[in-house]
Amino acid sequence: MSDAIPTTAPSASDDPLVGALRQRFGDHALVEQPTLTGLPVLWVARESLVDMLRFLRDMPEPFEMLYDLSAIDERLRTHRRDLPAADFTVFYHVLSVSRNRDLMLKVALQEDDLALPSVVSLYPNANWYEREVWDMFGIDFVGHPHLTRILMPPTWQGHPLRKDHGARATEFDPFTLTVEGQDVEQRALQFKPEEWGMRRERAGAEFMFLNLGPNHPSAHGAFRLVLQLDGEEIIDCVPDIGYHHRGAEKMGERQSWHSYIPYTDRVDYTGGVMNNFPYILAVEKLAGIEVTERAKTIRVMLAELFRITSHLLFLGTYLQDLGAMTPVFFTFTDRQKAYEVIEGITGFRMHPAWYRIGGTAMDLPKGWERVVQGFLDWMPRRLREYERAMMDNAIVLERTRHIAAFNTDEALRWGVTGPNLRATGCNFDLRKQRPYGGYENFDFEVPLGRHGDVFDRGQLRIEEMRQSLKIIQQCVDHMPAGDYKADHPLTTPPPRERMLQHIETLITHFLQVSWGPVLEPGESLAMIEATKGINSYYLTSDGNTMSYRTRIRTPSFPHLQQIPAVMRGGFVPDLIAHLGSIDFVMADVDR
Amino acid sequence: MPYTLTRAEEAVSADARYPLGRSQRVEDDPLRQQVHRSVFTGKLEEVLNSAVNWGRKNSLWPYNFGLSCCYVEMTTAFTAPHDIARFGAEVIRASPRQADFMVIAGTCFIKMAPVIQQLYDQMLEPKWVISMGSCANSGGMYDIYSVVQGVDKFLPVDVYVPGCPPRPEAFLQGLQLLQDSIQEERRPLSWVVGDQGVYRAEMPSQRERHRDRRIQATELRSPDRL
Repeated sequence: MSDAIPTTAPSASDDPLVGALRQRFGDHALVEQPTLTGLPVLWVARESLVDMLRFLRDMPEPFEMLYDLSAIDERLRTHRRDLPAADFTVFYHVLSVSRNRDLMLKVALQEDDLALPSVVSLYPNANWYEREVWDMFGIDFVGHPHLTRILMPPTWQGHPLRKDHGARATEFDPFTLTVEGQDVEQRALQFKPEEWGMRRERAGAEFMFLNLGPNHPSAHGAFRLVLQLDGEEIIDCVPDIGYHHRGAEKMGERQSWHSYIPYTDRVDYTGGVMNNFPYILAVEKLAGIEVTERAKTIRVMLAELFRITSHLLFLGTYLQDLGAMTPVFFTFTDRQKAYEVIEGITGFRMHPAWYRIGGTAMDLPKGWERVVQGFLDWMPRRLREYERAMMDNAIVLERTRHIAAFNTDEALRWGVTGPNLRATGCNFDLRKQRPYGGYENFDFEVPLGRHGDVFDRGQLRIEEMRQSLKIIQQCVDHMPAGDYKADHPLTTPPPRERMLQHIETLITHFLQVSWGPVLEPGESLAMIEATKGINSYYLTSDGNTMSYRTRIRTPSFPHLQQIPAVMRGGFVPDLIAHLGSIDFVMADVDR
Repeated sequence: MPYTLTRAEEAVSADARYPLGRSQRVEDDPLRQQVHRSVFTGKLEEVLNSAVNWGRKNSLWPYNFGLSCCYVEMTTAFTAPHDIARFGAEVIRASPRQADFMVIAGTCFIKMAPVIQQLYDQMLEPKWVISMGSCANSGGMYDIYSVVQGVDKFLPVDVYVPGCPPRPEAFLQGLQLLQDSIQEERRPLSWVVGDQGVYRAEMPSQRERHRDRRIQATELRSPDRL
């Protein structure tokens, strides 16, 4: 099973979509870049960027969603064959649900002129992405409504993702906090409504500004939200993030391809190995590894187990936010059962980092079927109980029905994916739409909601757990025999039994474990349907033992950005219900 | 048992660094001095101290505060399968003013550090801090520009729980170690008796205590079977 996949993607020139862009903007406007991303990557001039994005957004079967927007510092990149000269590159990844395809536009910028027109008027969710690019790279977006830091503290100096910015904390002076410094930092965090174009009063009545977070029991972690209130009514609100920025993207630039795996686990920290999935798929694309059927099935089984534990955590806290105290005790009992299975197989609870380049860390232990089957037999009765006790409960219905509702168009405009998108009735699940990693072999359904409200977002996840159980059952019944590691020179770590045979394999083993594998220069991207929405890793290799740029697109980031649009005119208790129904963890927002 | 004395300071200068309070090692139990002065008052104070400490350690109210992954495992310790109520610490408080101890469960970020300091300052004495997980202990695997390399850079920490994240059982053990240390503490019993400093017992390191037993283990279970 070591069939190498082609190292260059088919040329995009015969693509009708690229043809349409050429016809509209002229041949000279586009430069195609061959990549392993699986989508057309087009370099465009800064002047035509806005027109081109508008054309894509307004065409028949449009690109409704700005899926991702970030930048690359190209100054130290050595392998840039035939690419336009650039010190920095900003990329726009747009997605069309109706066409089920993506497109990436790239703009080259020079160091002395780091400015671009803002596209917030086209895609409202560009707002936070542009702020992040400003914060991390220092690239200016002309026409942005309020270009300020988003992840780093307001008092920070420098732009961390630039190649000339230090990475390690130990490269800087040790952290100290003085009494005076504490005052300065606290003052810098103070909310000033005028900066956000907010009024302090209306018709003689003063608004109340309520600071919720960064530590609040309903905020699910270090998340801050400032509410502009008229009585109980939310006039407007401003989410403030960045209290959980662990520099996961910068970390990718110094860890080897292999030793970065544990960092992915901690991005969506309730998702466990689910986070390894897109990263490993992207690395395997770069390495040209095709994994065995057994490895694929093991991966799917573990990923779905983690989907269930994540949804159980969601269910418990969602109901707790609505005021139901006991469900969290029940769902955590189920989580414990799931962890017994996960721990038995991987040896760890939350962050097993169990996927490897070319397979998994080990084979399944003897007797795994019995414990997995035990969990599969336990869960369905519990799910029925949750539905009967909670989702049919009059108080829960009253608190959640038609609360914080949004429709499919709004969801796509804000970049909402995953269960929150499907709760609006939009049938877009990557496991079905673009099967990856072996999902094409499984029989399951995609549950959909109708109203896109707090209730549907909760109910849908219970249904999703049922479907995950169905997938795991198929894994138990039809686990393929064979190897759990691909027979490929870049599989890391290489098969151990061969290490002790002769000197060549011993050296390879030693180098691959100490330095890590060297991957060919190129760019690849893998998207998966993670627990909270679409998660993807966009990797740029410069022919080294580590990534040149690791871009992690996480679903929770746009979900939080959408909060003001949903909550304007709502009430404070509805906001708490909405926060519970989004299902976010701050590491998945700030990375 | 050696003790560390922390005196209450009245005037704090603006360039003073957190953690505040000048610590000074005391070689012996401060109660012994009392015993030498008068056997009766010494005994009385000892009985009072241990009664108060017994009450404190068995009704610790945790502050509902979490930063990242470790908080999920901490919450797990609060729910049915692990049941922290067995140790009298199930009354989670959402306000720092009502809480007895704070668990720094997760990564301590530079942007979050002043917020953590403020929340800690809002807690009333007596108060304790458990540092849960590698990030809070030392920065752990996140030696990166945005992370403080250990929360003890600005907070006084009583117990460190290792792990990434630690299992709920490890957190419960950390809680019990905190209880043990509270039992040995000497705090002012009243504003008229004795000096007003806090004497914290220097508890033995768990690593050294268990080393002999741990190095006995030479054979580990094979991961090939359950």
